Amino acid sequence: MRLRALLLMAPALLLLLAVFAWPMLEYAWLSLHAQSVFTGLEPVPVGLANWQRLLGDGRFWQDAGQTLRFAGVSVGLELVLGLGIALLLHQNWRGRGVVRSLSLLPWALPNTVMALGWRWIFDDPNGPINALLGGLGLATLPFLASPQLAWIATVVADVWKTTPFVALLLLAGLQMIPADLYDAFALEGGTPWQALRRITLPLLRPYIFIVLLFRLAQALGVFDLIAVLTGGGPASSTESLAVYAYLNAMRFLDFGYSATVMLGMFLLLLAGSALLLLLPRGQEVRS
Amino acid sequence: MTDPGMTTTTSAPSLRLDNLTRRIGGRAIIDGVDLAVAPGECLALLGPSGCGKSSVLRLIAGLDTPDAGRILLEGDDITRKPPQRRQVALVFQSYALYPHLNVSRNLSLGMEIRGVPAQEREREVTSVLAMLQLTELAQRLPAELSGGQRQRVALARALLRHPRVFLLDEPMSNLDAQLREELRPQLRSILCAGSAPVIYVTHDQQEAMGIADRIAVLSNGRVQQCGTPKDLYLTPANMFVASFIGRPQINLLPQEDGTVLGIRPEHLVATDDSGIPVRVLNREWHGASQQLLVSSPQGDLRWTCDGAQPIGEGLRLGWDRRHEHHFLKTTGARC
Repeated sequence: MRLRALLLMAPALLLLLAVFAWPMLEYAWLSLHAQSVFTGLEPVPVGLANWQRLLGDGRFWQDAGQTLRFAGVSVGLELVLGLGIALLLHQNWRGRGVVRSLSLLPWALPNTVMALGWRWIFDDPNGPINALLGGLGLATLPFLASPQLAWIATVVADVWKTTPFVALLLLAGLQMIPADLYDAFALEGGTPWQALRRITLPLLRPYIFIVLLFRLAQALGVFDLIAVLTGGGPASSTESLAVYAYLNAMRFLDFGYSATVMLGMFLLLLAGSALLLLLPRGQEVRS
Repeated sequence: MTDPGMTTTTSAPSLRLDNLTRRIGGRAIIDGVDLAVAPGECLALLGPSGCGKSSVLRLIAGLDTPDAGRILLEGDDITRKPPQRRQVALVFQSYALYPHLNVSRNLSLGMEIRGVPAQEREREVTSVLAMLQLTELAQRLPAELSGGQRQRVALARALLRHPRVFLLDEPMSNLDAQLREELRPQLRSILCAGSAPVIYVTHDQQEAMGIADRIAVLSNGRVQQCGTPKDLYLTPANMFVASFIGRPQINLLPQEDGTVLGIRPEHLVATDDSGIPVRVLNREWHGASQQLLVSSPQGDLRWTCDGAQPIGEGLRLGWDRRHEHHFLKTTGARC
């Protein structure tokens, strides 16, 4: 029995090992070596030197904080907006089906294309937002040149792109809740607002949990959006850990340290996911 | 054709439906329904699925709004009142228990949102739990309860609403037949204990006859007849009611003169030579009686008898004239 179970799981396990464990081991090995222009791009064993450097690397920890702030704020906004949209799409109104399909469009766009679009929208002085500000007689804003505005721009772009995905997942959860519950609650004297707090949110908890897991993992690893929209700038103020790892490898040609940054980020993510898994997940609706 | 059925009740009705009409997509799913229910009375709304009986409940509960007509509760017009302010309880067919709350939280949530103080909530929940033998189950989630236990929780929750009208939508349909029969007297005693009128929706005539003081038979959104179970059995107002009440179904024999003769299977008797000749086609043995299907010159007949008639046997059947029902072939109305 055990053998058969193992055999049946083997293909999936092998695939996971091949695409996940093997590169991780490769990275771990690389993080114990220096491989850069100074070593002639040949790996030279250096022990824990890369890890020592990581612990004292202000830019790594600054980027870790920035990544966390970006993920926290974006995912938080996406959750609130996504829930609002899901609740709207769950109501019965004319044209709901069309809106439901159209609302998924941002999510269907490739990240790079979307980020290029936003770079143009935020452009100073030629982008549509600044054109609008100019048309109203206001001063234009250097969106991508000011650290605060550039950070807001990355959050806006991410929220715009992934809110539909969050809304879709939450909508699936809403559709699992029997309508009778709301009728029963109304007959007991409950207002729609109370129903949202006492019935909808508790029953949506398993779905909110899945959204958090998916979205946080994705947002903490954010790369393409920031690489294309701001390049991590100005002055690395929007830089994420993934962008930093990329720069180490591709700009500074320091592959050993890039692998260390990558692994450090992975360990932080792992710790974060473990914390998330400890959260209570709520009661599943069973019919 | 409709009969408000006020003959058997003496006190003023506490719930009155006045020409209630609801149209969906141009079709009247409820078509001019008039009903009156006295305090403490249990009225069954009986009819086949799709006849509009559940829709009537939703209108009374305020979950839907009629296109015409009025709903009067204790003399006060509640037709347009939101469900929150009607003080009406509805036991859903699905029971609609909150899946994330245990039994006692299911029962107290309504009081909590209505602002009932915690001490009073606790007292009320404890007493209703004891009354319905649910005390042991107070900490369980709905998913951990059997169908019968869920039904009792739903009933308890409705009782805690202290409703001015008690509505039940097929509360037995999710239970197996044996449990249904067991629960009927229990349900009846709980429903009759209060002074609120009860409206009980079902498609099962036995259940309606076992629980209700009066039955309103509904078809195509109209009340076909409203009266005591005995009235409905003895003097059905039309062919629909005649076929819907009484098992096995009444025999309907078309006559030459444009009428239909109705005779119940239990009123047929074997005679010597005066009756109609029949031959036994099929036999179901039911213990106390047996159920025969016989062929006759006027068509196949259902006959309930206690003798032992073998299949294929020929004999003559007759009946007492007093048991005859006559209906018009065109409208189905009694004549």
